Amino acid sequence: MDASTLTLHVRKNGAGVGRLDVMQMLSGVLLIVFLWAHLMLVSSVLISPKLMNAIAWFFETTYMAQVGGPLIGLLIFAHFLLAARKMPWRAQETNAFVKHSVMMHHKDTWLWLAQVGTALLILVMAATHMWVVLTDLPITAAKSAARIQSGTWLPFYLILLPLAEIHVGIGFYRIGVKYGYITKANRKWYQRLENYMMGGFITIGLLTLIRFLFLTV
Amino acid sequence: MSRRLHIEVFRYNPLDPNSEPHMQSFYVNEYDSMTLFIALNIIRDEQDPTLQFDFCCRAGICGSCGMVINGRPGLACHTQTRDLPDHIVLHPLPVFKLIGDLSVDTGTWFRDAGARIEAWVHNDHEQFDPKAEEVRMENDLANEIFELDRCIECGCCVSACGTARMREDFLGATSIARVARFYLDPRDERNEENYYQVIGNDQGVFGCMGLLGCEDVCPKHIPLQDQLGIMRRMLAIHSVKGILPKRVLEKLQHKGCCHESH
Ligand code: HEM
Ligand code: SF4
Ligand code: SF4
Ligand code: FES
Repeated sequence: MDASTLTLHVRKNGAGVGRLDVMQMLSGVLLIVFLWAHLMLVSSVLISPKLMNAIAWFFETTYMAQVGGPLIGLLIFAHFLLAARKMPWRAQETNAFVKHSVMMHHKDTWLWLAQVGTALLILVMAATHMWVVLTDLPITAAKSAARIQSGTWLPFYLILLPLAEIHVGIGFYRIGVKYGYITKANRKWYQRLENYMMGGFITIGLLTLIRFLFLTV
Repeated sequence: MSRRLHIEVFRYNPLDPNSEPHMQSFYVNEYDSMTLFIALNIIRDEQDPTLQFDFCCRAGICGSCGMVINGRPGLACHTQTRDLPDHIVLHPLPVFKLIGDLSVDTGTWFRDAGARIEAWVHNDHEQFDPKAEEVRMENDLANEIFELDRCIECGCCVSACGTARMREDFLGATSIARVARFYLDPRDERNEENYYQVIGNDQGVFGCMGLLGCEDVCPKHIPLQDQLGIMRRMLAIHSVKGILPKRVLEKLQHKGCCHESH
């Protein structure tokens, strides 16, 4: 403990916003990795429902789903808290940013608005999705198919899938820019990579949903 | 074939209580290699002497003619009308205080930013000896410093920055590149913590959201994107020193960074 513990008049060396920024970046990177892993696991149904069941069984007998699920929930919540520091919560800020985006007709500027917009929907939808899946373990291809064939869940996933992929794709690109890995020299290349990745993941996700829709249960 | 340009200009005089902000149209015949600087002067000379806008060098050196040209901040003297459509819409740069019409006060903003980042060489020397020979510097390093010193403080990058428009106290890419210039300069003896104290916050590197409006409009092509990345990474690593193991930090530090050699 020193004077900086008690008063804002004394700064602590190094501490502060930098650490929050690193944590925001790490939460983002972990979520990117999670989302890709998640997509791979679920899309295993494309190869065979048996494979998907086996993977789900593995994650449940090792308690990875029961423990990991809520941990991912916490990670999303922590990410929300950290990233929300940047969101334009004041009407005046939103107003300024929207006017700015319209004025500039500049893609990267619009991307940020897309990220903020998708974020709010994901906050509600990801929570709903996690609740539904984790309160109804075990995960099986048949149960997932039944949910999607029940009607209401199909549009839900058709919305959540692109929202999540867009949010994460933009996040990937912007982490690279902010931390200097994406430079002037390779920016174009990464922009293309980002588009391919978003397109690719949305396609795999759609194929998976279609497979569930026509899976006989 | 020469075109007849339709130039629409934002008009408002904040000092005149009767003045209402509005757009006014002017028409000018285009000729070869005409710049917006020339077009605006023709308008002021021949059509409306009350039109306010700033110029000095008309060669992209003084930084006074920044304005929003069809939505993008840029230098009027640096912009050829043939690169624009027939219909040109001009606004004053946002963020800065409006003096009138297209004229804004960038000076006050830059002076304040310069004071906040302490844009001067810091050292602990007892005294300055004006007669001593100047300390020598490698040519490559001098060039690297000069590359960042080329900023003409036109303010375009600040006006193009979504963060700066939302948050008045954001220092903008120009200030961060300016700190990067001192970071490169061996005569500035500030350490990482000293730099962290001036830009290691939401007003500095961590406020930047990587939208790259700045990079895409800077008329002098200052390498803003790369410098923002270098400074943010350096200061982020500084903030987690003692938390992450040294070896990991060193590895992160030495990647794609042009500050390696010194
Ligand atoms: C729960 C609701 C969520 C909210 C409110 C939210 C909000 C945000 C916001 C506002 C940003 C931009 C931050 C900035 O401009 O610096 C962001 C970035 C990001 N988000 Fe989210 N997000 C949410 C969920 C997610 C999820 C579920 C994932 C991945 C599965 C994710 C991945 C990312 C990534 C990778 C970034 C880039 C990180 C960065 O810029 O540091 N987000 N998020
Ligand atoms: S960095 Fe570029 S756009 Fe910004 S003030 Fe300097 S010259 Fe102008
Ligand atoms: S990259 Fe940073 S400084 Fe440049 S326009 Fe974007 S938010 Fe502003
Ligand atoms: S008049 Fe000096 S930069 Fe345009």
